[in-house]
Amino acid sequence: MLALLTAHFAAALLAPLLVRRWGRTAFLMLAAVPGAAAVWALLHAPGVVAGHPVTTRIPWAPEFSLTLAFRMDALGLVMTLIAAGIGTLVLVYCARYFSDDEPGLGRFAGVLTAFAGAMLGLVLADDLIQLFVYWELTTVFSYLLIGHRAELRESRRAAMTALVVTTLGGLAMLVGVIMLGEAAGSYLVSDILADPPRGTVVTVALALVLVGALSKSALLPFSLWLPAAMQAPTPVSGYLHAAAMVKAGVYLVARLTPAFGDLPVWQVTALAFGAVTMVLAGWRALREYDLKLLLAYGTVSQLGFLTVLLGAGTRDAALAGLAMLCAHALFKAPLFLVVGIIDHSTGTRDLRELSGLRRAMPVTFWTAVVALASMAGLPPTAGFVAKEAAFEALTHTGPAGPVVLAAVVLGSVCTVGYSLRFLWGAFAGKPDVAPTPVHAPGPLFVAPAVVLAALSLAGGPLAGAVDPVVAGYADTVRWTGGAEAQHLALWHGVGLPLALSALCVAGGLVLFGLRERVAWLGHRLELVDADRVYRRTLAAVDSFALQVTGFTQRGSLPIYLGTTLVTVVVLSGIPIIQGRLWTMEAPPVRLWDSPVQLVPAIITVVAALGVLRVRRRLFAVVLVGLTGYGTATLFALQGAPDLALTQFLVETVSLVVFVLVLRRLPPRFSTPALRGRRLGNLLIGAATGLLVAAMAYFALAGRRAESISTGFPDAAREAGGTNIISVILVDLRAWDTMGEISVLAVAAAGVASLMFLRRRTQPVRGRPGERAVPLAAAPVADGTAGSAGAPWQPTVLTTAPRQLRVEPRWNPLWLPGAQALARERRSIVFEVIARALFPVVMLLSVYLLFVGHTDVGGGFAGGIVAGLGLMVRYLAGGRYELYAAVRAQPGALIGMGLVIATGTALAGAVFGTEILAGGAFDLHIPLVGDLHLTSALVFDFGVYLLVIGLVLDILRSLGARVDEQLEKESPTERQAEEVTP
Amino acid sequence: MNPLPHTALAAPVITTQPPQIDYALLAPLLVVFAAGVIGVLVEAFVPRPRRRAVQFTLAALALVAAFVLTVVRVALLPAGGAGLTVASASIAVDRPTLFFQGTILVMAIASLLLIAEHRHGESAFAAQAATVPGSEEERAHVLAGSQHTEVYPLVLFAVLGMLMFPASNDFLTMFIALEVMSLPLYLLCGLARRRRLFSQEAAVKYFLLGAFSSAFFLFGIAMVYGYAGSVNFAVIHDTVAAGGAGALPGGGPLLLLGIALVGVGLLFKVGAVPFHSWKPDVYQGAPTPITALMASGTLVAAFGALLRVFYVAFGGSVAEWRPMMWVVAVLTMVLAAVVAVTQRDIKRLLAYSSVVHAGFVLTAVVAASAEGLAGAMFYLAAYGFTTVGAFAVVTLVRVHEGGAESGDIASWAGLGRTSPVLAGSLALFLLAFAGIPLTSGFIGKFAVFEAAVSAGATPLVVVGVLSSAVTAFFYVRIIVLMFFAEPAEARPRVLRPGRLTGAVIGVGVVATLVLGVFPGPVLDRLSPAPGAGTAEAQSVPGGFATTADLFANR
Repeated sequence: MLALLTAHFAAALLAPLLVRRWGRTAFLMLAAVPGAAAVWALLHAPGVVAGHPVTTRIPWAPEFSLTLAFRMDALGLVMTLIAAGIGTLVLVYCARYFSDDEPGLGRFAGVLTAFAGAMLGLVLADDLIQLFVYWELTTVFSYLLIGHRAELRESRRAAMTALVVTTLGGLAMLVGVIMLGEAAGSYLVSDILADPPRGTVVTVALALVLVGALSKSALLPFSLWLPAAMQAPTPVSGYLHAAAMVKAGVYLVARLTPAFGDLPVWQVTALAFGAVTMVLAGWRALREYDLKLLLAYGTVSQLGFLTVLLGAGTRDAALAGLAMLCAHALFKAPLFLVVGIIDHSTGTRDLRELSGLRRAMPVTFWTAVVALASMAGLPPTAGFVAKEAAFEALTHTGPAGPVVLAAVVLGSVCTVGYSLRFLWGAFAGKPDVAPTPVHAPGPLFVAPAVVLAALSLAGGPLAGAVDPVVAGYADTVRWTGGAEAQHLALWHGVGLPLALSALCVAGGLVLFGLRERVAWLGHRLELVDADRVYRRTLAAVDSFALQVTGFTQRGSLPIYLGTTLVTVVVLSGIPIIQGRLWTMEAPPVRLWDSPVQLVPAIITVVAALGVLRVRRRLFAVVLVGLTGYGTATLFALQGAPDLALTQFLVETVSLVVFVLVLRRLPPRFSTPALRGRRLGNLLIGAATGLLVAAMAYFALAGRRAESISTGFPDAAREAGGTNIISVILVDLRAWDTMGEISVLAVAAAGVASLMFLRRRTQPVRGRPGERAVPLAAAPVADGTAGSAGAPWQPTVLTTAPRQLRVEPRWNPLWLPGAQALARERRSIVFEVIARALFPVVMLLSVYLLFVGHTDVGGGFAGGIVAGLGLMVRYLAGGRYELYAAVRAQPGALIGMGLVIATGTALAGAVFGTEILAGGAFDLHIPLVGDLHLTSALVFDFGVYLLVIGLVLDILRSLGARVDEQLEKESPTERQAEEVTP
Repeated sequence: MNPLPHTALAAPVITTQPPQIDYALLAPLLVVFAAGVIGVLVEAFVPRPRRRAVQFTLAALALVAAFVLTVVRVALLPAGGAGLTVASASIAVDRPTLFFQGTILVMAIASLLLIAEHRHGESAFAAQAATVPGSEEERAHVLAGSQHTEVYPLVLFAVLGMLMFPASNDFLTMFIALEVMSLPLYLLCGLARRRRLFSQEAAVKYFLLGAFSSAFFLFGIAMVYGYAGSVNFAVIHDTVAAGGAGALPGGGPLLLLGIALVGVGLLFKVGAVPFHSWKPDVYQGAPTPITALMASGTLVAAFGALLRVFYVAFGGSVAEWRPMMWVVAVLTMVLAAVVAVTQRDIKRLLAYSSVVHAGFVLTAVVAASAEGLAGAMFYLAAYGFTTVGAFAVVTLVRVHEGGAESGDIASWAGLGRTSPVLAGSLALFLLAFAGIPLTSGFIGKFAVFEAAVSAGATPLVVVGVLSSAVTAFFYVRIIVLMFFAEPAEARPRVLRPGRLTGAVIGVGVVATLVLGVFPGPVLDRLSPAPGAGTAEAQSVPGGFATTADLFANR
């Protein structure tokens, strides 16, 4: 069986080549493949009927209990013959239906062959998952086939509709199948049939499977896709929408009925939906003008009928159902083919335009007559036999029997009605319509339809021969008792079924007679247009999606963050509240050590809240700084002068850096969001803050180990220092410090590389620094600069030079670099103070460096103090003053600092015991006093240099560099500034 | 082992002996790390014109070597057992780890090929990311042909984080891995060559949101530590199993709090609703090769970590976290599917699709069983290949020759006529996303749904299937547009796939088909055979005592 399937798909792959080579004749070659399948099935038929199904089983993915399992029993045999047999004939038909130059014919041929393969797999699969795979494949292929005329908008839309509806059903079925398989413990259909599981899960699973089956077989409420799918080329309609694909749903119902036919969910669903569909679709068919649409609605109606029979769950109904299924395939397929012939020969399918075809196409006419007779259930056709059996079976089917029977009879009346309508519409001569011009169809074109119609006709008399095959399936269905087992026969004798058949014919004739009025009434009574509902649903989904998108995905960071924060608050709030976390034992929290702490605390809080209110960036920065100073004060009050000092210094540097950067930003924050939004943000922020505070508190509760800080005083003394912080930094945790200064160095490099980008990567030019003019020359050149009104402009010196030579000679100016500033920016007081203060500041920084190990201070603090000194010089004297103040490049300072620190560390390894091992010696310097020197001091010196380098780097890039940019960007502005003193 | 080493807690023990480390088991990580470091040195010392070739060779060799070493390591595992732990039990080497690492490495190699693809001297990355978009400097750099070869070491570091993330056996290692993985990605996201402001905005958003989620992750770790007194997954698991015995009295809520916060951090990386909002913006803004890396590698790594945390550390409190995962999974599948319908940009659409797929994998996580783990693993591998291939296709469709990528789906109309092979590949990928049979997507979906159903999460599966129906709708819409619609007026220019991109697309196609048609060989290797697990597992016939036994955790 695997070989047959493989042959189908291989043929499908080859099809485009064949078509390219031989044109439409290639279809004849392709027809051999399903033909072979049909022959194979026929050869195995005797064995199967005798009760020996053909099986194959190959493991596919055993982890997920996926198996390639095939099994051909009686039902499988019938379905195989239908799928493969009609497939063969349709392919033959295609060889004449299409012209050689049809666009996309190769693809079409391939897909059609592949579809035949998928259909074959579907009916032979013994594994539910595998069945689902073929199920979806038929969906995809049918989508491609319906959309064959891709250039037609209608065609594309119809394909899409079919795909959406059947995929939806298919996926529902997948869930059902998985549930069923899990409940049964096996995905093998034969296992499930042998030992059907029961329970609520199974009920739900079956409901889902039925959704899939109903959608595939186009029952209400899923029927809309089938009429729409009539956009497909006629052979496709004949095959997919009459014989094969739509039967898949019915097949699935038939397949599972032996196991679940006694369950109410199964019976009720099948009977109710089947009966309603049969009546409504039959009624609808009575007012169609397009022959194909008429057949389409007829098909929907018949599929409802089949579902009723196969889902009823009794042996006789199953017998009738399978017989009807065969009969339907044998009469509906030729009818579609006939429509195709008519369409092909006359160019229209509208029954109002066709006239007089009876004479023009006699063979076609008689073919249609036979098929229609079978459809209407007239003796001696197969349709008649099946319908008789159906009536018979339904007369004793449970309590719902009479209602269902009435519905089926009503549906059959409609069937007869639309059969006549078809016959009249397609072939009759209409008095007010001119005979339609016809070009006669060739024999090969008509042959498939003739063969099928002949089988329809033969099916009646040969009913006895077919009976064992059909009964082979029906006997697997629960035997309800009552009347003796029914058999298919052309003549059952006079009885209720025969009477009902007669009633149907009579009713049908009446309906046909009143056809105009029926059509009118049908239009009047039309309740809902399924197509419109479908479109509206899609549109609604679309607009709903748009709204949801607009709501959730605005691209606004506050909203994204707000969503996350709210979720976090809710998620973590639940355990906190539910678990009554506050009842947990937690360490006592002191409010304060001394009430004085309250003052900086309040200032910090008020400043933090104030930041939220202010609109100017500068104020915000100052307020943020204030919170920092407040915290530093708290540190100081807590007894941590080192931390306090460092915090003060860092706060100051960051304030200056902020202000330097703020020059490039608008003075105010961007316009505020809506008041409500701000309020919301405020609430979210407050809630998150509360949560984090609560978590910090509860985290304390979790502490069980003693704090490591208790050992620090001893450790510091051991290391020879008395300043714990400093000892931690340069001795105990020197490794950490190493890491941190490396990060600082990297950060500095990052800042610099961003700001000095152009120089770094500009296309090659002269040696760096070459253009720089020795600054010493400047004051000479501008001896009268001050009086001339225009300040001296070292225009050539636009970038930071690599080297600056400041000649050491007496200079009457306080800050020589300040000469370059505009007059109104200069402040002589500031310059004097900066000049006077600078040496003091530098001395202080060196002092801090040296005493760090024993007293408040350290390399970091010292470095920052030195940086502040530079900062003052820059602020007072501008960027040339800065260049003049420190000749070294910041990169060099940073690098040297890093080298010294690393060197100390390595020296520890070389001279001592391990990396970063310390050493110490005491030095007595006259006048100064005793100096306790340690290797840690050298390490700290590295830190010191690095910090100076960092501050210098920041000043150069964010200060001097931005100055340059500002000057370059707005020369006019600057000039304007200059004229207005 | 003593589940609660209280003595160890009371006084921090300072070891004087260096820990015994089995370097062979860490080899792939070390190789990638070393290559990253060498890559940094290459930036400093190799002359500019040769850098790209050197960097690419280095990165490719490192990744391939790491992959080979990963495969070799399979042999080092004890037969049938769960696995080993290395480096003071901070890294676990077990089957899931190796599978995730192997997958990540393959994805990384594929992404690297996309990253390295050059066309007329142009890569997907900005000539000089630090220049102001649209400025004179930028133009100068573009004309001078500047390149960011730093991309390669950054990618290597990100991959290192990805490899470490699912292998971490304690929370701190995991956090470090998270950061190592994320930081380079934040940066890489901002380096797109075109629409640079957009790219930079994406990077900033990603960074800010990511920083918050990392913070929550850390908070969660603190809470869990408060509960269990350890960050080691095995210890946490034992503590939970012992009902918190010996842990903080009444500390149960701390555990819940920890689960919630750690979950937030991980779900953010995975991109589950409501932490998904970064994904569309970032996927769209980032350079497409980086998007491919994130959509495959990061997702796999994040799910690997999520599975380990929730199966091992929190494996004993499934009942506690399952409701949360349920809600998140449902929200993820529904919301993302609905929103995806309206997307008009292919990269955004793929981003939402990635969110939906995360929801599908979450259904397997909810299962909390061996099948769930195997299903999730297969799904991730299958999805990863497909998505890398899809993004590779996206890089080829341009507005005009040498122009930006043409993201607008409407302009893709008729692509099936003009470039059938390319459009066919994309169609295959989309069908796999939709879960059509005979593609890897179907087997993956089936695996996760089956696991969820057998764990009693049928409603979740129903939601999942409905959402796949919606997603199938928009995938198919693209296919229809490409093959059946009239070509648009302003037709995009389809570049000829270079060798590298072509290889990636080819691998994607092959993997999608092979995993869909012959999933057996891969599935075989996903989970240890039931019953052959650890000693605990043997006491429970035919299964695993807990989900934790699926992983090495001792």
